[in-house]
Amino acid sequence: MSKPYCEKFRIPKHLEVPMGAVIPAPVKEQPAMKTGNWRTLRPVIDHEKCTLCLNCFVFCPDACWHLDEKGERMVWNPIYCKGCLICVEECPADALAAEDEMNFKGGVARLDKPY
Amino acid sequence: MAEVYEVTIWARGVTQDMEGRHLSLLLANGADKGGKFVQAWDNYADLPDRVGVPLRKYTRISDEEIEMRYVYENHKPNMSIVMDDSIVKGMDILRGMPKGGVLVVNTKRDPEEILKLIPNKDVLSKLICVDALGIVGGTGMESLDFMGSEGGVEALAVGAGISAALAGAAAKGTDRFTAENVAAVAANKAAVKEGNKTAVVKSL
Repeated sequence: MSKPYCEKFRIPKHLEVPMGAVIPAPVKEQPAMKTGNWRTLRPVIDHEKCTLCLNCFVFCPDACWHLDEKGERMVWNPIYCKGCLICVEECPADALAAEDEMNFKGGVARLDKPY
Repeated sequence: MAEVYEVTIWARGVTQDMEGRHLSLLLANGADKGGKFVQAWDNYADLPDRVGVPLRKYTRISDEEIEMRYVYENHKPNMSIVMDDSIVKGMDILRGMPKGGVLVVNTKRDPEEILKLIPNKDVLSKLICVDALGIVGGTGMESLDFMGSEGGVEALAVGAGISAALAGAAAKGTDRFTAENVAAVAANKAAVKEGNKTAVVKSL
């Protein structure tokens, strides 16, 4: 997208930036700042009820909800979710429910130091 | 230098901050009544305290005067007490533990279920499970405390909540303090005895 624009206005190569100067983040997860071990309750999604309104994606303070590549399902990130349950509160379709973390075997974010 | 018995307590930030502090005080006061040299303090390493973050509280018990008094972290805990069972999943609670250590977990579940979640369980000699919240009752949020503890005097009675039941259960794992001595210094004496009685001990 940037190339024809650059050629048209003769912008030097070293000043070339994407349209809108939007650059994808080089790192999206910080392995040293895993916060999944703060969680005692976890949000569990019912895909039947989910309407893909993306409220959970908008309200999640840790960006732990996102749409999968096909755009059919919401995906939850267990390593960074702190279990604040804001998504459960905000879900208009009642598709999210809080469940005890110890009921699940997965989602282990074991750290050496507290954070 | 005499051997120092080190106890590390893992608690959830803010919600269990006060109970964790009270548990470390109970163990120290109970051992002190038995004629030991003791030390109990809050953590410095894990602050600032935020809701749900795993925090550490520490106790040291020794037959002779504690020379490592100003080391503010227990690097080789002989006993680890976990006040919320989901911390087992999120933290290496046995870090630095020498062989023959004791783990006390506040849980409603079986010891086997907890053991499955611990990868380095070969250092343990005993796993003690107790349902402290079931003994004391309530929601566990009664002790919500925003006071902090730095240099302060305890505003509430020490050992009224789940800390009393856990202290009673911890007495089963060691002979450094007894349930009788802990009950003598705790506000909720019945919970100490009930915790000592109902704790499930699994020798490994």
